[in-house]
Amino acid sequence: MTTDGPTAFAPIPDPGRHLTAPTTRSALRIQHQLLSAAREFLREQGFTELLPPIIGPVTDPGSRGSKQVDVDFYGHRYKLMTSAILYKQASLLAFDKIFCIAPNVRLEPLETAGTNRHLAEFHQLDVEVAGATRDDAVRLVEELVVHMVDSALRELPKEFAGLGRDTGAFTELLKGSFGRMRHAEAVAELQGLGHPQSPDAELDWAGEALLSAQRDRPFFVTDYPKGSRGFYDREDPEQPGLLRNFDLIAAEGYGELCSGSQRTNDYAEIVTRIRETGENPQKYRWYLDLVREGVPGSAGFGIGVERLTRYVAGLDAVWQAAAFPKVAGVVSP
Amino acid sequence: MSDLSAPGFPEEEVRRRARAGAAEAFPPPGEYGRVLFGAEPGGGRQPDGERDPLDALRIVPPVFMPQRLARLIDLGREPDYRDVELATEIGGFSSTMPVYVSALGSTRAAGGDLGLALSRQAGALGLPMVIGENVVPVNGYGRLGEAADRALLGRLRAYAGELPDGQGGVAVQQSTEDADAEVWNLVYSDPAARPLLESGRLAFELKLGQGAKPGLGGMTVLDAEAAARLGDRYGLDEVFGDGRVLRSSTPGTFTAEILRQQIRLMRNNFPRARVWVKLHPGRDVAEAARVAAEAGADAVTVDGAEGGTGWAPGVFPAQVGLPLAECLRRLGAAGAPPCLLVSGRIWEGGRAVKSLALGARAVGLGRAALLAAAEDPQAGLIRFAECLALEIRLLVSALGKYAPTALDREDVWSRDFPGIPVTG
Repeated sequence: MTTDGPTAFAPIPDPGRHLTAPTTRSALRIQHQLLSAAREFLREQGFTELLPPIIGPVTDPGSRGSKQVDVDFYGHRYKLMTSAILYKQASLLAFDKIFCIAPNVRLEPLETAGTNRHLAEFHQLDVEVAGATRDDAVRLVEELVVHMVDSALRELPKEFAGLGRDTGAFTELLKGSFGRMRHAEAVAELQGLGHPQSPDAELDWAGEALLSAQRDRPFFVTDYPKGSRGFYDREDPEQPGLLRNFDLIAAEGYGELCSGSQRTNDYAEIVTRIRETGENPQKYRWYLDLVREGVPGSAGFGIGVERLTRYVAGLDAVWQAAAFPKVAGVVSP
Repeated sequence: MSDLSAPGFPEEEVRRRARAGAAEAFPPPGEYGRVLFGAEPGGGRQPDGERDPLDALRIVPPVFMPQRLARLIDLGREPDYRDVELATEIGGFSSTMPVYVSALGSTRAAGGDLGLALSRQAGALGLPMVIGENVVPVNGYGRLGEAADRALLGRLRAYAGELPDGQGGVAVQQSTEDADAEVWNLVYSDPAARPLLESGRLAFELKLGQGAKPGLGGMTVLDAEAAARLGDRYGLDEVFGDGRVLRSSTPGTFTAEILRQQIRLMRNNFPRARVWVKLHPGRDVAEAARVAAEAGADAVTVDGAEGGTGWAPGVFPAQVGLPLAECLRRLGAAGAPPCLLVSGRIWEGGRAVKSLALGARAVGLGRAALLAAAEDPQAGLIRFAECLALEIRLLVSALGKYAPTALDREDVWSRDFPGIPVTG
């Protein structure tokens, strides 16, 4: 098991030593295999891979205190992508099932430097399906992750042995059918363990790790409260105040791997929800114009590539799963 | 011009509008940045003889003073005004007195050296300070080559550099245009703000409005060059016809649910910062304060119609928004939020003590703080605060009480202010 306290922060070696370290090479080979398997799986399921933009007039609004990076685009303030979400929804105008492996930049708050789970620059395997529900997306993640992990275990036994990763840890995972719990249940369990988890917020990092450490297979947390997540998650009409969304959390204390939801595609609801996040809808003009004209209802998710690699490879920190890691506040190449 | 006249009618005002057009809706643009505006006593630019209801209240010491007896027993001697303990808690911060420095935004009057002088002195006094909206989108944050004195970082450093251990704190405001500039995220992740964050002395203030112009966003006057630079972020209107333009912020759209969710978002995204909310003196101010407090705001600030240093259309200070006294009455009747902060022409101990007696935890200094710092950039605000502290001690002691939080509604009286119960 790993720990997630700020005290666990280990210094990142210089690029030369990092890239030539056996641990890095094994981690990157595992990552390569995970992505190859994902592409194989998704293409077989009829998905089209798109290349996502990396700058735009607007991106996913910051969350948990992370900041966006501005770039000067011919005199206009553009953003580096923090998530492909808005472009994923728009892409469904071209294809019904899409995926991309998207780079993202989020200037995370400095206190994340020691969590071992945050990178300021990271990649996400993004998937979006027109006409899908939250439950469709949950099932798809489950099958996809099982396929990716199974493929890596089969193809790279020496890498796992070299890393000292006990592949028996994936016995339950490979059976599929991950655990499920609602956010309210997760809050109750954490509070029962003496952890002060707010019922209004996303599970905090320590809380996620606590739940994760007590389980031997990944599990989904569903039905987060409105206000804890982005404006694009659909509110459940049958349970106002709750969102039709989910996180996938790894076993063994590794924490969150993936976030997803059924999306709202209702123009008035999106504008109102943008205001609830304190923003000016004008910023999202191109996106709102598309939504007003009509984008399909959809569901989708994003798997953190470095986080999944860290979990599968059994690494102490997520930066070990990146060739050129960028940790909050650490100036690095 | 014809010889037509209209005795008894505001003929000259009509004629000025006929000559100048939309510019006449505003104070003369030449006064911008030099004159601190705000409502005049009586609530209008054309005083109608009616007294400000807060000024009209009297502070009414009792004859029998059980709290003085308790203090006497505690001290073993007769207490006097020097035994009044002014230190209090304001929105999660420790303050040396029930006073904070109100938000001063991007307006020219608060820019440059004056903003820095004010920040230094507020820090030295250990008073919480609010840094107003639009400073970052207009003047920059201060890390990318902008003039640091005008930028947010300059004020933050000037304040924190003088701040005694364990005292004070900064509340950084954000409104719509600031959200575009990600002000809170910038501050939350800035190494310069880290000592404040780690010592629990950083708050974020969500601004819903301001006393000087309820229902409108911030307004400033810009020259053509500055207007060209900011045109993509603000509404610009060439009302003055002389090259200078009116720059307007959007006030932001709120419903109870939007407010509730924005506060929830602040708590989720910035768990180590305090949450403050600032309200304009709207007719539903008590309801808005309740929503904010229930959603978890550490402080709710209410700016009375007398509040504000900034540029506003003339009709607003004269005719728009509830007076501070009426805000306090409505908030009191509905059950004031646990940490209510108020502002509006506060400059001496009387209005301050009356506000505290009517349910406020602390009062904000806006025009008074700016004028005091302008009078002496080294120590003007410090000396002003000394005088204010003495006056508050004298008044609180006269009421037979020894802490601002001990004040209550029985300490004030007015024949003309229904809703303030007459007791005793």
